[in-house]
Amino acid sequence: MGNDRSLRRVIKSKNTVLIAILAAVVLMFYLLNSNYLSGDNLRGVMQSMSITGIMAVGAACLLIGGGIDLATSMEALFGGVLCGLLIKAGIPWPLSVLLTLAAGGLIGGAVAYLVAHLGMMPFIASIALSNVIRGVNLVMTNAQNVPVPTEGFWVLGSSNVLNIIPTPFVIMLILLVIYGLVLHKTQFGRNIYLIGGNQFAARLSGLSPKKIRTILYVNNGVLAAFSGIVVASRMHSASPSSLSDSQMDAITAAILGGVSFMGGSGGMGGCLIGILLLNFFNNGLNVLSLESHWQTIAQGALLIAALTMDYFNEKSREKSLKAGAALKQ
Amino acid sequence: MEQYLEFTGIGKAYPGVQALRDISFRCDGGEVLALLGENGAGKSTLLKILSGDTRPDEGGIIIDGRPQQFSAPYDAIKAGVSVIYQERQLVPAMSVMENIFLGEQPKTSLGTIDKKALRQSTQDIIDKFGLPIRPDELAGRLSVAYQQMVEIMKAYRRNSKIIAFDEPTAPLADAEIAILFDLIRRLKEEGRIVLYVSHRLSEIFRITDKIAVLKDGRFVKYLTTSRTNEQELIQAMVGRDIGDTYANLRRNDKLGDVLLEVCNLETEYLRDVSFTLRRGEVLGLAGLVGAGRTEVARAIFGADAILGGEIRFEGEAIDFSEPKDAIEAGIALCPEDRKDQGLVLWRSIRENITMPVLGRIRKGLFLDRAAEEHLAEEAIAKYAIRTPSINKIVRELSGGNQQKVILGRWTNSKMTTKLLILDEPTKGIDVGTKAEVYQMICDFAGEGFGVIFISSELTEVINVSDRIIVMRNGRVTGDVTRREATEESVLALAMTD
Ligand SMILES: Nc1ncnc2c1ncn2[C@@H]1O[C@H](COP(=O)(O)OP(=O)(O)OP(=O)(O)O)[C@@H](O)[C@H]1O
Ligand SMILES: [Mg+2]
Repeated sequence: MGNDRSLRRVIKSKNTVLIAILAAVVLMFYLLNSNYLSGDNLRGVMQSMSITGIMAVGAACLLIGGGIDLATSMEALFGGVLCGLLIKAGIPWPLSVLLTLAAGGLIGGAVAYLVAHLGMMPFIASIALSNVIRGVNLVMTNAQNVPVPTEGFWVLGSSNVLNIIPTPFVIMLILLVIYGLVLHKTQFGRNIYLIGGNQFAARLSGLSPKKIRTILYVNNGVLAAFSGIVVASRMHSASPSSLSDSQMDAITAAILGGVSFMGGSGGMGGCLIGILLLNFFNNGLNVLSLESHWQTIAQGALLIAALTMDYFNEKSREKSLKAGAALKQ
Repeated sequence: MEQYLEFTGIGKAYPGVQALRDISFRCDGGEVLALLGENGAGKSTLLKILSGDTRPDEGGIIIDGRPQQFSAPYDAIKAGVSVIYQERQLVPAMSVMENIFLGEQPKTSLGTIDKKALRQSTQDIIDKFGLPIRPDELAGRLSVAYQQMVEIMKAYRRNSKIIAFDEPTAPLADAEIAILFDLIRRLKEEGRIVLYVSHRLSEIFRITDKIAVLKDGRFVKYLTTSRTNEQELIQAMVGRDIGDTYANLRRNDKLGDVLLEVCNLETEYLRDVSFTLRRGEVLGLAGLVGAGRTEVARAIFGADAILGGEIRFEGEAIDFSEPKDAIEAGIALCPEDRKDQGLVLWRSIRENITMPVLGRIRKGLFLDRAAEEHLAEEAIAKYAIRTPSINKIVRELSGGNQQKVILGRWTNSKMTTKLLILDEPTKGIDVGTKAEVYQMICDFAGEGFGVIFISSELTEVINVSDRIIVMRNGRVTGDVTRREATEESVLALAMTD
């Protein structure tokens, strides 16, 4: 069908715009500081982006399904701390990792319970829970870092694939591919789009919005905990309070990548671009050694830009479709 | 000065469709002009251009001899145009008077809103129309019909000389339609220009003076209502003669055993509802808007909780907690409200059609894309959905075509439905396709399944159903066969307590 192609082209063209912006950002910082694209710096960006990236995968799925969890980065810190403590208590590290992932899932389930079953507003429920988790993290650790001297454990965060690409980055890519397949090819993935698009219609069509959304919250908790584990593995120590100023990073990355704040649209391709964009931007500010307060301002501005883009995206889908058809003719 | 509205050479393209092409015609003050055409013919698009909501690619609008340039709805309102869409535009959390005077509320000398003047002016307008509405009532609390009246009063207050209605009667019951028509006649007597879109031909003959027929985005015919008839209109609209819809229906007369038995059903809205449906039967549910017909459907389908009584399906008592279980048992409900309950507007036709049967079109872990596309193509052919592609986003279809997508979903060939419940299935659908829908209903019953057919259009329920249950205020007030039923008798049952 002729129109299929034009539709695909539009989707591509949306990502094309994002890629162009990404290229512009990278070029700009490169011109400002030629070290920006050095191998060492690139590996650094890959390292740090995989942390937000792994979280962004869960956050994006959740957003598509019409949910949101503002406690995600607290869940990540919790994951790192818990895993560190378990290893310190003598539990073999692979088992500690699994237990921590399960605990992350439980926290996600708690958010789901408040939101999907008790009907609380996701923003409020997850912010409240975020404070609880922050407190728990500090109590568990006495507000001290938890060193993790187990060398085996370091492999998740500190090793390289083929001696050059950071392992976490590869893990992130694999996750993006798997979740991309799930979203676009499977029934469960389709269900996520449908409940995010109109949960009432979805329920009347035999879907279970509550159940699906619960799974998405649990999944988000597991991935958050995993990203915290990766940080701990890379730092060889778990901190109860770092990362917290990147509270919104995962969500920002997803929305930058075209996942709609309103639910029902977006995908992993865009999500990857969003992750790249956010991290190259943040890293660029670092490389310029801008004062950190200014960095905070710039990051806030980027989030606003992302939300604005989302707004225009919703409104202008009609327009972009038209552009797509015009291209074809 | 002479009042008139003229469209000159209007053209408008959307991706893959030329929605309007060189539309030119004129409408005079004191006239009601019907805009007629099949689903997707371009009627709503023309009204959106008139209201400044959409800009035409070509052509323009002339009002009283002056060419107009509307770049936003505000310009159109200033030029004296009000368009009343099918979806209400009122602010539900505001009172009637605030809605009517939205943006132009009378001020006191201190600059605050002069509530007293506001209330008085609103009451004056309400009295003029003779309606039982209070100025302080919240708009969201009013019935759909009265909300529409408030919109008309708003247009009246703005002193709009052009008032257009897009399928205003779709959500209304007959009594309410009578009130609406009185209002329209009043507007006409005052010399205003009224544009009227509807798929119900009987209304066109009741209320309009002139008829402009659109087909595939073109202007094909201009007629004077008093000098034409239904055949000629249908011929112009559809391009062929479809004959007498009801007489031509191939019905099923072989009834089987009892398929569904509803005994003393009670829910939040229903009291003591009982009826039976046999295999091969089309059971109509008639009643005024709010009589509880939709609630009966939702209770059977597991969408609302059952508080008392029993429902037996194929001899077994059922009480589904989720629609999912009902679908698995072989019950399908095509819901009434297409925007809220029916469609996922931002997703494609294909995705909307396969929603309830995704589990049946899997190939291993993945969805079978080819099977999915096949189902969508089938529905498009079956209901003549006008679209350039199965991947078009449903939001961009015309109203009637959206309705056809929902029908296509609930009657797709992967469904294993034994009881099909259709709640206002022909809402906004054109005459040609209506006949197809009626035939689909009869054929479905003919295969030994059951159909519950809910409709507010009396003629249609009475003529398509084998038996008609009449409801009022959550109770059953009548149970008549097609042979016994007349519009008067059913209406009487729908209004008696
Ligand atoms: N926003 C849009 N984007 C793309 N196509 C559109 C859009 N709005 C309308 N169309 C297309 O324009 C054509 C005319 O639509 P329109 O809504 O005017 O039909 P209509 O005559 O009002 O039909 P109905 O009787 O079903 O309401 C249709 O083919 C429709 O798909
Ligand atoms: Mg329309």
